[in-house]
Amino acid sequence: MHLLLPVSLALFSLGLLGVIVRRNVLVMLMCMELMLNGVNLSLVTFARQLDSAAGAVLVFLIFVVAAAEIAIAIPIVLLLARSKRTLDLAAYTDLKG
Amino acid sequence: MEFLTLIVVLPLVGFVLNGLAGDRLGKRFVTVVGCGLPILAFLVTVKCTVALAAAGYAPLTETVYTWAVIDDRAFEVAFYFDRLAAVMALIVTGVGSLIHVYSIGYMKEDRSYARYFAYLNLFLFFMLLLVLGRSLLVLFVGWEGVGLASYLLIGFWFEDPDKARAGKKAFITNRVGDAGFLLGMFVLYATLGTLEMDEINAAFMGSPAPAVSASLVGVLLFIGASGKSAQIPLHVWLPDAMAGPTPVSALIHAATMVTAGVYMVARLSGVYLHAPEASQLVAVIGVLTAFFAATIAVVQTDIKKVLAYSTISQLGLMFVALGVGAYGVAIFHLYTHAFFKACLFLGAGSVIHALSGEQDITRMGGLAKRIPLTFVTFAVATAAIAGLPPLAGFFSKDEILWFALASGRGGSILLWGAAAFTAFLTAFYMFRLLWLAFLGTPRMDARTVQHVHESPPSMTGVLAVLAALSAIGGFFALPHFLEPMLPLPEVRTEAHPFETPLVVVSVALALAGLAAAAFLFSSNGARAARLSPRFAALHRVLSGKYYIDELYDRAIGRPLQWISERLFLGIGDRLLLDGSLNGLAALAQRAAGVLGRIQTGSLQLYALLMLLASVACLLWIWRHV
Amino acid sequence: MIDGLLGHLETLFLVLFAGGAVAGGALMIVLRQPMRVALALISTMLCLGAIYGLLGVHFIAAFQVLIYVGAVMVFMVYVIMLLDVRDPSYAGRFSRLLVPGIAGAAALLGVLVYAAWPDLAGLARPSGAATFGLREFSATFLNEYWLHFELVSVLLVAAVVAAIAVIKVNRGERG
Repeated sequence: MHLLLPVSLALFSLGLLGVIVRRNVLVMLMCMELMLNGVNLSLVTFARQLDSAAGAVLVFLIFVVAAAEIAIAIPIVLLLARSKRTLDLAAYTDLKG
Repeated sequence: MEFLTLIVVLPLVGFVLNGLAGDRLGKRFVTVVGCGLPILAFLVTVKCTVALAAAGYAPLTETVYTWAVIDDRAFEVAFYFDRLAAVMALIVTGVGSLIHVYSIGYMKEDRSYARYFAYLNLFLFFMLLLVLGRSLLVLFVGWEGVGLASYLLIGFWFEDPDKARAGKKAFITNRVGDAGFLLGMFVLYATLGTLEMDEINAAFMGSPAPAVSASLVGVLLFIGASGKSAQIPLHVWLPDAMAGPTPVSALIHAATMVTAGVYMVARLSGVYLHAPEASQLVAVIGVLTAFFAATIAVVQTDIKKVLAYSTISQLGLMFVALGVGAYGVAIFHLYTHAFFKACLFLGAGSVIHALSGEQDITRMGGLAKRIPLTFVTFAVATAAIAGLPPLAGFFSKDEILWFALASGRGGSILLWGAAAFTAFLTAFYMFRLLWLAFLGTPRMDARTVQHVHESPPSMTGVLAVLAALSAIGGFFALPHFLEPMLPLPEVRTEAHPFETPLVVVSVALALAGLAAAAFLFSSNGARAARLSPRFAALHRVLSGKYYIDELYDRAIGRPLQWISERLFLGIGDRLLLDGSLNGLAALAQRAAGVLGRIQTGSLQLYALLMLLASVACLLWIWRHV
Repeated sequence: MIDGLLGHLETLFLVLFAGGAVAGGALMIVLRQPMRVALALISTMLCLGAIYGLLGVHFIAAFQVLIYVGAVMVFMVYVIMLLDVRDPSYAGRFSRLLVPGIAGAAALLGVLVYAAWPDLAGLARPSGAATFGLREFSATFLNEYWLHFELVSVLLVAAVVAAIAVIKVNRGERG
């Protein structure tokens, strides 16, 4: 059990690293999902250990939100990719300045 | 009834009325207020003098209000009226009123008529404050005030930068002298605890003697006096002050303001009687000034400049009298000088008015017949200043020469010799002026000759009054009148037999001057013109006024400018202040430039920055919480 | 011996699946083709589902597989198939921030683990309470946490609106 918390921290860090490091926008999205999973794991760990339903409820709601989020994020990425004609994050610099 | 306060306040009212409303209310209003109030002040002064005489010449005092109370010492504004103050106040208001009346005609066409009378009344207010003040503090307020009024009036036509510069020069030179004055006041206050002049005199005259050196005080105060009264080395402002209107030159730079220094020394006679070193300094500076100014006056070609140097010279003679302890005699010369010098200046103004602005005597001549009234008054005043009996100047100058030789407090033959030679020069250059300006044949162009006209009665009337006073004024034995408060010094025993011969010598010197001038300068100065190439070098030095202005510029002016420009402007202002401010701005800009590179638009960079920031926060929490 | 082994079996499986999850995560960073990255993520999620099951929260495990793998990742895979373009991101996997990123992530992990380490031993064995049985959980969920449920439904409405907006934009661009 005391293994799971570091695992969740590792998953979160790996996800964050992936967001920063990978150039493909779809891969970046997937790494964000990895971060969410890491958080879910830590929530479940604590819920189980503290015998609290709150953690489980939160995990449940995170499922819902994550699904809704991906349902919107993908179309946005689609439109962005179509207008920029590339999936390379280096090309998405409209926020510059 | 507070008459002394009334004397002082009346001109102030004139200043306020003319200054604020004069332009709008017209020339007539300005004239009535501007001249009427000084005349009223004169009448009140006469009344106070009568009251003084009735009270057996016991000094009248009036405390107007308490200016400040610091710890347990009070500084009051109070007026003090004794014989000396009465004489000075009568001169100031009397001659002042006459010059105000003269100005009506002289300044008639000027568009700043109201401002002129306002300033003139302001000057009168401050001068009366100076003369009637009981404490050195009130005197100093008046002192500074007349300096201000002088600056305003010298630079009256301020649109001409030269005239404005002359005003500045006067003010700044005065301020240099005032530094000494202030130091003297500080020393007096620190040791005696009072600035009331009658108390100061009593402290020095009584015993035990105060713990401060009277000479130190005397020298410091004399520095102030030499600034105001144009003695060497602070005399440089007076010739430049001729840039102002001629009545101003007459009032301020001949009759009243420049005599403030003489008055101050005479008023503090108690200090100077116990300060032999300071008195000696006063006498030496006085005689040097008198001599040098007279030599410069011999070659001047501007009518007003001749009179300016003459004023400096006569003031020097007054200081000689003060230096040898003959305070009453100095005041006597002050009194006669006021009459004839004012008459000379106003006469010069009349000439300038007649010639529509010409001031160069080499371009005058032949005016005696054309403006006879001006000529007669000018001639009388010239004779008075030369010291021809029985005019006023003879009496006062003769007394000065007598005490310069015979006074037991520093009289010597050397002093007398220099003063006598100065008297000769005085007669010489004044008659030179008379001959070149009025006699001979006209040296102006024909059109100016045609326009030569006598001045209006407001001007010639005043000239007549002043000429009459120059003639008969000497018969009032002022030194005798002032003797109860300003005793005359003892005469050295070995000088006694010289009393009558001295009078003869004085008259002879005056006549010699007249003769020499007549010889050289009649027929339009033909003989002088022939002689002058032989003395070319001397002429150059004298015309250059001994190059004192240039010396000051080199020694003081330029180093100060260099310091200002290099040190304060270059380093202090540009480098330090501007540099630091601009540097701060540049720093902000560069920082912004550097920080701006964070906004690349790359989401990944933003994510990385957030990661690093959260790591830093976590570390901080971990360490500190 | 079997009992000892069985007792440790749970731990063994836990370690196995945890390792699998982390390996999947690591592979996600390294693999070049997006489809393979998606598969790595799916494997991570399945391992996590197994961990949830081992922990006893069975319904969450079920939802993990159903929603995350079954909906989210399927959608993701469809999009990858739609959009897989051989653009520069294919040739160069990593952005400019590789080294700072690795350093930062390592620092984060290090700080978090180090901070949590003293408390880790306190994470005792789970209690055997039946809090996470489906019936009990549902009752608790809808009794005490109904507000959170409603709020999330508001969020879902927002998502629907956003989806419609995206369609409009889409339509607008087309013509």
